[in-house]
Amino acid sequence: MTVTQPSSVPDAAPLHEPAHQVSPRAVRYWALQGFLGAVVVWAILFAVYWFVPDGVKQWLGPVFVAILVYTVVEQALEPLIRYRRTRWEVTGERVFAQTGWLSRDQRIAPLSRVQTVDTERGPLMRIFRLANVTVTTASAAGPIRLTCLDTDVADRVTAELARVTGQTRGDAT
Amino acid sequence: MTALPPPTGEPLAPADPGTPPPPPEVGGVQDWQRLSPRMLLVHPVRAIRSMIVPLVLVVFGTTRGDGNSFWFWAAPVFAVLAVLFGVLAWFFTRYRFTEEQLQLRTGVLSRKVVTAPLDRIRSVDLESTPIHRVLGLTKAKVGTGVDDSQIELDGLTRDQASSLRVYLLQRSGGADVDEAEEPRAEGGSGDAAGAGGPRRGEDTELARIDWGWLRYAPFSLSSLVVVAGAVGVLGQFGDDLPLDETEVAQDAWGWVAAQALLVLVAGAIVVVVLGWVVVSTASYVLSWWNLSLVREAGGKIRTTRGLLTTRSQTIEEAKIRGVRMTEQFLLRFVRGAELTALATGVGSDGTTRLLPPAPRRVVQEVGHALLEEDGPLTMTLTGHGPRARRRIHVSRQWGTLTLAGLAAVPTWWLDVGWFATWPWWVPLAVLVGVGLLNVVIAENAWRNLGHALTDRHLVVQTGAVIRTREVLERGGVIGWVVHQGLFQRRLGLADLTATTAAGPERVVAPNIPLGMALDLADAATPGMLQGWRT
Repeated sequence: MTVTQPSSVPDAAPLHEPAHQVSPRAVRYWALQGFLGAVVVWAILFAVYWFVPDGVKQWLGPVFVAILVYTVVEQALEPLIRYRRTRWEVTGERVFAQTGWLSRDQRIAPLSRVQTVDTERGPLMRIFRLANVTVTTASAAGPIRLTCLDTDVADRVTAELARVTGQTRGDAT
Repeated sequence: MTALPPPTGEPLAPADPGTPPPPPEVGGVQDWQRLSPRMLLVHPVRAIRSMIVPLVLVVFGTTRGDGNSFWFWAAPVFAVLAVLFGVLAWFFTRYRFTEEQLQLRTGVLSRKVVTAPLDRIRSVDLESTPIHRVLGLTKAKVGTGVDDSQIELDGLTRDQASSLRVYLLQRSGGADVDEAEEPRAEGGSGDAAGAGGPRRGEDTELARIDWGWLRYAPFSLSSLVVVAGAVGVLGQFGDDLPLDETEVAQDAWGWVAAQALLVLVAGAIVVVVLGWVVVSTASYVLSWWNLSLVREAGGKIRTTRGLLTTRSQTIEEAKIRGVRMTEQFLLRFVRGAELTALATGVGSDGTTRLLPPAPRRVVQEVGHALLEEDGPLTMTLTGHGPRARRRIHVSRQWGTLTLAGLAAVPTWWLDVGWFATWPWWVPLAVLVGVGLLNVVIAENAWRNLGHALTDRHLVVQTGAVIRTREVLERGGVIGWVVHQGLFQRRLGLADLTATTAAGPERVVAPNIPLGMALDLADAATPGMLQGWRT
């Protein structure tokens, strides 16, 4: 009625990926982080399996095995795929980040609309000398996270972003 | 009418409309002001009202004889304390204007100072409850547009409030002139940004309540909640009716009882429908009485409305980045719609209701007047094509499968208690019933889904049960998020999000073919994707 469907929807190439990869140490970081998470899941699974009555074990067993297999496969694949797909780029006036390992999330914002630039290092990240840089705009929907950068790179990016956004006037809304 | 400054109430020479007025007291920082002493009458009324439920409980408890006499005496003491606290709160609440700021000091024990820079003030809302109105008082809420916090001055006199409103918004309107001149986002969105800035001239009325619109009141879903609550209460009484005594139906008088039951059910339905009509009409009248939507000189949008509690909301037009037209399915039957403004940091969730359920034609006209562009609310949109249809249908049916699975576990594997009484076909019934419902919803969602781009606005329509058309100024787009889930990637679809500071801070076009998404983003904000398109 008020919507007409297009006669044809051509396939389109996605955006070029952003220029830079994250630090190679991120692979080990993601692997360790994933492993720690998986250990917790396994512990819970075994604990539950231990305590449920035998009747339930019969059908709960296969479910748990499936979950177990999934976590193992995920451990094996996720860090490398994530490393290949996580990319970022800061051009003169825009910041562009791509994340996700099965899905793909591409975020773009002009630096003139940037409000804050935060750097964050978790305890685990510090072991691998990594840092996240989060760039927020006036929209809660659009924070851009440059994950797992080398700390030196993160410091340089933060300084550069702070310098550029500091030149912007107005409330960036 | 532009008597300044508000806090002192001193008569001043009327300022030329549009010219920035002098600060409240020329060249000086003002003394702290208290709110009107008439608030001292409001506080006891409020205190008693908040104590009324406990008081009634206590009184009932004591008359029944099982009450505690301690509470019988304690309740009045608490009421007195509450009044006393109200007086103290009034005593310790002060505000003042400096040359740059509005400052408010509150708190009896822990003191708090809230400040708002005068040239950042984006909205002034005035609200008077019936108590306020009897005493000639008003509550003013001052919003700065950047964060959600508002400064609340509860207890200005009516004159103070109206001159405060004019003064504050004139100050900020003057400051906004240079802001509009500075370059906005890269990507040429600046050409769209300057529109809606301050303008001079007469007030123009964009809309006024037409009581013919009352016919749309019963089709509003918000009153359904109220009626459902009332039915719930009635249901409590229903328990007392002798409907459970099925043996009654077996004796000679059986058919009489059955007839009575039918009459009772029919009567209940009539009561619910009548109740719905009455409640929805009453609430429509209460909240939208005397609605007028005015574009004031200097680029302000002002709504005034309300029968008992009157509200006046004023937003700087430059902060209104778009509108949203909402048509839920009941309203669609009668060609009705609602209108909401999407503004930056104003109102709850950045949205301000502008029109009640009203004829769609009126909503479109008013919306277009507000957007200063014809078309966004009436134009035909571009749909998202067959693959979007497939995706929407499939993702909808995941919900069906989940529900059926949830029904299957207790029916087929749990033979305990109440679950044991579930017949074997329950999961199948869920599967078919919910499945069909989801087919209808998904098809509707796909038919409603579409987008468009005008010279100045981005238009996105979504929704199945509630169809919403969001119109966002292109200059209000901060950035873009292109999200593709695993299944969307295989179909070449994406969820395109335009991030913005206005309204709910995002406009999402779901399941849009990737090429369309990138074209749309590229066209809406030229240059933003430059170098990354293939």
